[in-house]
Amino acid sequence: MKCGYCGHEFEESEGKKGCGSCRGGCNSIHCPNCNYKNPIEPALVKKIRSLFDNTTKKGGV
Amino acid sequence: MEKSLDKMTFSETIKRVALVGNPNVGKSVLFNALTGAYVTVSNYPGTSVEVARGNTVLDGKEWQVIDTPGMYSIHTITEEERVAREILLNESPDVVIHVLDARNLERMLAMTIQLIEAGLPVVLVVNIMDEAERMGLKIDLAELQKRLGIPVIGAATARKRGIDQIRSAIGTYVKGPVSDRFTYSDSLEKDIAEVVNLMKGKYVLSRKCLALLLLQQDDEINDVCREQDPVGFEKLSAKVKEIGFHRRESFNLDLSLERRRMVSDLLAGVFVAPEKRVDTLSERISTLTVRPLTGVPLLLIVLYFGLYKFVGEFGAGTVVDLLEKQFLVEIFNPWITGLVNSIVPWEIIQELIVGEYGIITLGIRYAVGIILPIVATFFVFFSFLEDTGYFPRLALLVDRVFKYIGLTGRAVIPMVLGFGCDTMATMVTRTLETTRERIIATLLLALAIPCSAQLGVIIGLLSQSPGALMVWSICMLLLFLVVGFLAARIMPGDAPMFYMELPPMRMPQLGNVVTKTYTRIQWYFIEILPLFILASVLLWLGKVTGFFEKMINAMTPLMASIGLPKETAVAFIFGFFRRDYGAAGLYDLQTKGLMDARQLTVAAVTLTLFIPCVAQFLVMKNERGWKVASIIGVGVSLIAYGSGYLLNQFLLVTGIL
Repeated sequence: MKCGYCGHEFEESEGKKGCGSCRGGCNSIHCPNCNYKNPIEPALVKKIRSLFDNTTKKGGV
Repeated sequence: MEKSLDKMTFSETIKRVALVGNPNVGKSVLFNALTGAYVTVSNYPGTSVEVARGNTVLDGKEWQVIDTPGMYSIHTITEEERVAREILLNESPDVVIHVLDARNLERMLAMTIQLIEAGLPVVLVVNIMDEAERMGLKIDLAELQKRLGIPVIGAATARKRGIDQIRSAIGTYVKGPVSDRFTYSDSLEKDIAEVVNLMKGKYVLSRKCLALLLLQQDDEINDVCREQDPVGFEKLSAKVKEIGFHRRESFNLDLSLERRRMVSDLLAGVFVAPEKRVDTLSERISTLTVRPLTGVPLLLIVLYFGLYKFVGEFGAGTVVDLLEKQFLVEIFNPWITGLVNSIVPWEIIQELIVGEYGIITLGIRYAVGIILPIVATFFVFFSFLEDTGYFPRLALLVDRVFKYIGLTGRAVIPMVLGFGCDTMATMVTRTLETTRERIIATLLLALAIPCSAQLGVIIGLLSQSPGALMVWSICMLLLFLVVGFLAARIMPGDAPMFYMELPPMRMPQLGNVVTKTYTRIQWYFIEILPLFILASVLLWLGKVTGFFEKMINAMTPLMASIGLPKETAVAFIFGFFRRDYGAAGLYDLQTKGLMDARQLTVAAVTLTLFIPCVAQFLVMKNERGWKVASIIGVGVSLIAYGSGYLLNQFLLVTGIL
């Protein structure tokens, strides 16, 4: 993912997940470069996106 | 540095490669491409800076890959840079990969020279070549490799281009002798030689590099030299001082000019840019946003259209009117009240669910009818602005002002996040460099930064009377600056340096804005709904036991002293649970016509200044300790009440509202 503040590109696993202060989680990742809080893409959106990615790859583009 | 070296133990069988370079040049992408999924991230000993490590097999041997924090030079300024340098010094990597951005080759190549000069086993990766080519830049990598005397690889790691060559360059790297191909002017070389001749002991970096760092007044290198040669250090230190005196403290400038000359010589005929550089529209807008003369009016325009027109008039006006008044109050609440009353025979339970402070008629009405539309429109505005890349430019714009209040542009991150949620933003203040900065930022967040819901409700509330909104905005800005300024005087110290690499400005993408807004609204709703319901239950308990009435009576003189009617005590009691709940209470009072413009303004200012919620106070306690949190809590409450009192007197005397 790309940090909405500093533009740093990182994997979700690299960032710090939330700060633990919210009940139910805030679905956010803190950027490892600047610590800005970035919302995680909802699972449904990820699935739709991966579907499109697969289609594109199969199409050989 | 020796101490931290002692603490660490490294396997001798495993080789190490360190990735170094400026922030945002693609180090982490390269790190992931080299290591795969199995990485460990831990704080570097004695610091809060995280360092990622992962393993890989190259040319049949196991290697540890270290992703160092961003650094601009071996002469360090920030904690991240210090950690990156310590890794080079203490962990003696077998290969150092310097990753730089091809588009900024001229600016970043100076560090490559420093690394080579330091005698480190450097491989240069000229990254983001795809973008550079798109811009029409031409780089003769073979010639650059010849001139630098180290392997140079062109790459676009985000597109997986060049990864195989990088893997092969690491695996087959053979260290040559320390290169002395970069020479400075005769006078500087003479100064360096005089310092080098007085250095004794064993060092990881070359003596020439260390001599330059000593002449740049590098305290850590000073300590290293003292440890290596306690007897001769005095002479060495005296020589460094003598050279500094002769150069009238202009050493850093001289060195920087010389390195710039070296880079231009290196790049002559190697780097060709298109004859006429055409600034794109986004680059022109970017320049306008960071220059004070154009940046401040632009900021005001953004706030006017984004906050006042969109969040205030549209969100808090049109949408709340539709959802709360026309749907919940006029249709849904009468229906649900009738239904509950017909099913539940006990009046007390009816009161709990659909009474004056009922869970549905107050708690859910506030959460869904008032807060949700306001927060939703605020987050649309926030996500839109975020996606354009405006926030880092705001950091640069306010950096100069922030210096007066003991902060730097770096503090823009917690401040901007505070407009979303102050509690989380307080936690983010831990990323600021000094304790002084952290305390000042915590104080200002608790005092003068309203969270999204509160900001939206207040803008919606006061936008009916633009004068009131203006007074509220001036009060907040003034208090932010004055309290920050005083806090910076009470806690003396220097504000640290602030550097930031600006990502490009871009057209916001609808998909990004929708996704980010959705996630933020979801988080906020999960956060507030149970609290609003709990607050309704407590208020109901207070009402049935008579405690609530007693509290209102007790608070009446306090309310009267700042010119507010008795009924506002209810909003302030709501505000005790959460400031946004209190702001929604004020919204309710305004719609009932119980407050004039002056009273609304005083109430809005006073309520905004109080600590937002119990959760924020607890986070303040965790982050800053009981003592500081209590001082801030008491101080903020006194300032809130005192400001309300003074503002009321001022408005009464001047009659401007």
